[in-house]
Amino acid sequence: MNDQVRDDPKRARFQALCQSLRPDLLRFAIWLSRDRALAEDVVQETMLRAWKAQDSLQDEAAAKPWLLTIVRREYARSFERKRLPTVDIDELIASEEPSLAADSDEAELAQLRRALFKLPDEYREPLVLQVLMGCSTAEVAAQMGLSTAAVLTRLYRARRQLRAICGEDTSMDPEE
Amino acid sequence: MIDCANFRRALLADPGDPDPRLRAHREDCPECARFAQGLARFEQKLERAMRVRAGEASRTVPARAPRRVFGGRPFGGRNRLALAASLALGFVAAAALWLAVPRPTLAEDVVAHMAEEPQAWLRTAVAVPPPALRAVLRDAHVRLSPGAGLVTYANSCLFRGHQVPHFVVQGERGPVTVMILVHESVARPRHFDEQGYRGVILPVPGHGAMAVLTRGAGGDAASVERTAKRLLAAIVWTA
Repeated sequence: MNDQVRDDPKRARFQALCQSLRPDLLRFAIWLSRDRALAEDVVQETMLRAWKAQDSLQDEAAAKPWLLTIVRREYARSFERKRLPTVDIDELIASEEPSLAADSDEAELAQLRRALFKLPDEYREPLVLQVLMGCSTAEVAAQMGLSTAAVLTRLYRARRQLRAICGEDTSMDPEE
Repeated sequence: MIDCANFRRALLADPGDPDPRLRAHREDCPECARFAQGLARFEQKLERAMRVRAGEASRTVPARAPRRVFGGRPFGGRNRLALAASLALGFVAAAALWLAVPRPTLAEDVVAHMAEEPQAWLRTAVAVPPPALRAVLRDAHVRLSPGAGLVTYANSCLFRGHQVPHFVVQGERGPVTVMILVHESVARPRHFDEQGYRGVILPVPGHGAMAVLTRGAGGDAASVERTAKRLLAAIVWTA
């Protein structure tokens, strides 16, 4: 692989591109799975698959949605491989939270993370795609196989729930 | 026309929605403008909360053994060996690739950094509170004069081992991002056009360099350089 990279600037560029996107892909996988160990496995597998399939990526600008698709697919594969037990959210938060926070984080960010953990998957995923990954509504819809109207509804409900859990002033929020 | 309920519903679904009807409503309705301002503050917190540590995951050990989300066989024996082998292989491959890939240029690092903060590119009319902006600029010992324009995002970022101010000014053709790089130096202006970002890194005699960039249809090279020079003139160095 080393020689391949040295000999081929295109491959080197692809590798650099993947490395620059890796931190956000890992963050996305963490929020998708709520499990850092699993997220690391998913992203590692994603990078491997991307490397093997890099010739299918025609436009570098499309790298991010392409890699996001692979992350989602790999995450779904992990469901196929393993059985899902019932998850105790409070235990999950207690075990995962210490590995997420930066030392300098204030209490309100920790509270917001706990609220995100509790958000239903179908609300948390589009929100992370929009806020963290910078995806447009159309891009979120394409990733999730939903209509843009459905995505907007989920995003609206996600923010309403989060704001309520976090004690934000929701007196000006519209009625459902 | 859009009413208050629909304005707020639209904003809760997509705070960065560039729909001109939303902008018009916000300008006409002080209540909704206040709502938008509160939501923008919430969005900044939300983005920071989501930006969990991603670089040094394996070094962080939870206080107690993490509860696995999935069931299945106990984790041990062959699984443990396979994991160790794959980690070792991954490490060796990563090290080999790191050695093989040429060091990125300053412009490449700036562009890579942009991918970490997509929230910065929101088109918005909500200004960063002055104390927050001052705190961010303090790292580089600078102040901004009013000529800089409307600053809608400010963050102190770790870049090449140093905390650097990263802020966004709303220009006529969309958001313009600025990074003040007092620890870097360039001999002459360096234009770049990479991965959809267009910009320039200007030398700042005695104070390192400054990167200014736009994305999408944010402007051509000449207009970016004009904006950069205007911003440079608006910076007051305090040390």
